[in-house]
Amino acid sequence: MSLPAARQAELVPQRKPKNQFWLSSIGFVAPGVLLVAVVLYLPFLWTTYISFTEYNGLGDPEFIGIENFRDMFADPAFLNSVLNTLYWVIGTIALPVGLGLLIAVLSHGLPNATLFRLPFLIPYALSGVAVGVIWSFVLQTNGALSQALVFLHLPGSELRWLLDAPLNTFVMIGASTWQGAGVNALLFGIGLQSIPKEPLEAARVDGASGFTLFRTMTWPMLAPLTTVVVGLSIVGSLKTFDIIWGMTKGGPGRVSETLALTMYKETFINNAYGLGAAVALFLTVVTVLASILYLRRQLADSRSI
Amino acid sequence: MLARKIVLAVLGLLWLVPVYLLLANASKLPAEFGTYGLWEPGNLGALFTNMADAWDRGRLSQGIVSTAVYAIVSPIIAVIIGAAAGFAIVALRLRNGFFWFVVIFASTIFPLQMILMPLFVGYAQTGLFNTRVGMILVYTVIATPFSAFVMRNFFTGIAHQVFEAAVMDGASTWRIFWRIYLPMSTSALIAIFILQATFIWNDLLLGLTLTQSSEIRPVITALSALQSTYGGSAMSTVLAGGLLVSLPTVILFLATQRAFTRGLSLGQF
Repeated sequence: MSLPAARQAELVPQRKPKNQFWLSSIGFVAPGVLLVAVVLYLPFLWTTYISFTEYNGLGDPEFIGIENFRDMFADPAFLNSVLNTLYWVIGTIALPVGLGLLIAVLSHGLPNATLFRLPFLIPYALSGVAVGVIWSFVLQTNGALSQALVFLHLPGSELRWLLDAPLNTFVMIGASTWQGAGVNALLFGIGLQSIPKEPLEAARVDGASGFTLFRTMTWPMLAPLTTVVVGLSIVGSLKTFDIIWGMTKGGPGRVSETLALTMYKETFINNAYGLGAAVALFLTVVTVLASILYLRRQLADSRSI
Repeated sequence: MLARKIVLAVLGLLWLVPVYLLLANASKLPAEFGTYGLWEPGNLGALFTNMADAWDRGRLSQGIVSTAVYAIVSPIIAVIIGAAAGFAIVALRLRNGFFWFVVIFASTIFPLQMILMPLFVGYAQTGLFNTRVGMILVYTVIATPFSAFVMRNFFTGIAHQVFEAAVMDGASTWRIFWRIYLPMSTSALIAIFILQATFIWNDLLLGLTLTQSSEIRPVITALSALQSTYGGSAMSTVLAGGLLVSLPTVILFLATQRAFTRGLSLGQF
């Protein structure tokens, strides 16, 4: 049976008409693409190449294969820096994200919620260096914190907060929590507002309340936003630089370095550009892998629900 | 309800303790610092003296004009470039638009560390090292991907009929972009601007790597230097300096918090 000609023409996939705006569409996207290509992607490729060379910034880079990477993994300071970076990732997921969620849930729906959230937002607008200035003052040996502990008859006043590893990394994660919890609370607050009211009401009528209500209803519905917040936290924590630079500069010695600091020091202080590039490449691979693994797991999870 | 309020209030007060310590100790003259306890408040006169000291001798004054220029000019350019990309992809239906979007946005995943050394070498060779133009350029590029991300999402929310109607009326794409799409997206534009201006004002790493002289150097980098040189002897001056350079972003952020939240929640999620 043959269809009428008109009907048939409808079924044949039409060739896409040429976009009459193709020229201007290229014109509008070009500045962004060009800038990113020249200032981000080109340097990115250059760093990748340099990581396989011996280079001190002067003269020509000399190709040495994977020697930088071999040196890197043989260096105990580098391995310690990897461990510290791991502390930062775990600590950042647990503390600023967890506290941010807590603050958002507690303040959600309260009259004057903005006022209650205000103290947490002030530190977010500070720079990492300013946070470092404040906290290195608070955490000096026998500084404000130690004095407060003595006054309250609590143990711990004898600790040398910023001098002993890994304690110094842990207290810096604390300082970073002080800075970062507010913005997570803000993001979770936006998420809570967008949750439909009806299912929550229905669950409440059925007798769910408090933590049960949160665990069975609110938390699952917040999942897409939690994915975003945790993802941002992982990527952000892998790159941590400012707070550490403001508090210990990676010291004493090199005990509180993270990968971001190791890269900076190797490149700009030791002039070992090749080795610095190798650390940068390693950090990038870890960041990209972590993002991909995390997102894939999250997407798989949300499919199974 | 009451229990929630109490927990929040206690946590909030705890959060304000470091702010109190900052204020209390930034307002003690370095010479009298030892006579006070660390938890005692100082006095307002000393706060201003310390700020003036950090401003002058600490050389924060020299970088502040440059930093203001970076934090205002770069986000404005970036917001327009990002919006233009979003406009090309959403309104003009750029071929393979999603691919180009990913090209622009994916660059944010890589750590900044990956581009520092080439930028340092490249800037030194092209004469951009330690110049305001060089800093504006790098900050603009850093701010562009996020701006493209938000603006693309925002434009997706504008009905395509708006564009078609404007074309019917004979408007050029250039005119449609500037006269219709940009004015319709002020809330998103402002949210991006605030976020990126804060980021640029607070940047340390690029300032540390790409500048040298105190007129070009961003204030945060200058603060970090102040901390290293004054740290032991004049802690209160350093604290006053930290307070001083933080005021603009804290005020901007708190004053615009609502507009900012609205712009972002409209844009994504």
